[in-house]
Amino acid sequence: TRAVASIFSRPEAWSLAAEPFKLLGILDVQNVPCARHSILYGSLGSVIAALGHFLFTSRVRRSCDVAVGVFILGTLGCWFPCRYNYAKQRIQQRIVQEGIKNKILFESTHLDPERKQIGTKSDNS
Amino acid sequence: MPYPMQLGFQDATSPIMEELMYFHDHTLMIVFLISSLVLYVLILMLTTKLTHTSTMDAQEVETIWTILPAIILVLIALPSLRILYMMDEIFNPYLTVKAMGHQWYWSYEYTDYEDLSFDSYMVPTQDLNPGQLRLLEVDNRVVLPMELPIRMLISSEDVLHAWTVPSLGLKADAVPGRLNQATLTSTRPGVYFGQCSEICGSNHSFMPIVLEMSTLKYFENWSHMMQT
Repeated sequence: TRAVASIFSRPEAWSLAAEPFKLLGILDVQNVPCARHSILYGSLGSVIAALGHFLFTSRVRRSCDVAVGVFILGTLGCWFPCRYNYAKQRIQQRIVQEGIKNKILFESTHLDPERKQIGTKSDNS
Repeated sequence: MPYPMQLGFQDATSPIMEELMYFHDHTLMIVFLISSLVLYVLILMLTTKLTHTSTMDAQEVETIWTILPAIILVLIALPSLRILYMMDEIFNPYLTVKAMGHQWYWSYEYTDYEDLSFDSYMVPTQDLNPGQLRLLEVDNRVVLPMELPIRMLISSEDVLHAWTVPSLGLKADAVPGRLNQATLTSTRPGVYFGQCSEICGSNHSFMPIVLEMSTLKYFENWSHMMQT
């Protein structure tokens, strides 16, 4: 209870989100969906690419350029597909939620979605 | 709900605000990456003794830094326009409420079924009860049913005002002689605060908006109670 009380004494905890950790002071990687995943993969890719480039060419400055370039491209490359899939999931979640609500509200009435579907199937057959 | 020293958005209460938050995340990631790149180039520029004073042209890099920002802008514009048109989608509201701005209070009219209108003044600091929020509480809240689309018609009786509820992603100017329409759908019950967002005189900061989203039954009881 003391730990819970200490968490909720901070105003930013009132929205029940994790403690915000902001990269460059702007990007909250803890609470923005896909952010942590994209930044981590981008960082990993950039470290591997820079190390590999340095091992092959022994050029420090160019390897740093490669690191920054791969970080940006890797982060974006993870970010866009993840956000796209997240948006698709969100839409599916809303459809399911609406369906559950309609099922509960209209069960056994003439507006029952299942009754309409059964009616359509028996009409087709 | 709002809290002191807040920098980010309040939790989303409407689907539109959820979409706006996701768009903000998307744009912020792009901004973060551009800022990282600029920071890196800055550090490179500042940590070299090399100079080149006879640059005449740089066609390749000029091409890259023209085309790449254009692509980035398209990637930002597409979701932005999607949400813009989503906010103006045709819907069938269950209720229409008029919000009229005055100096310095809001008045609300529920005239769909019966005549209900009331003024909403800020509660002065000295009259607050313990636990109430300073500069945000009002004497008469706008009670509305949740999970139903509601049309807000916003106008003004005197000067420009703006009717705002951040957690619903709503902001509309209250212009005298003009009706602005906003759609309101709350996904959960609660009390949501906003403040006038267009400078309108000395008490511009002291005319808040408070929405109380509740069940339909509670809303019906409240409107009946307000009329009697």
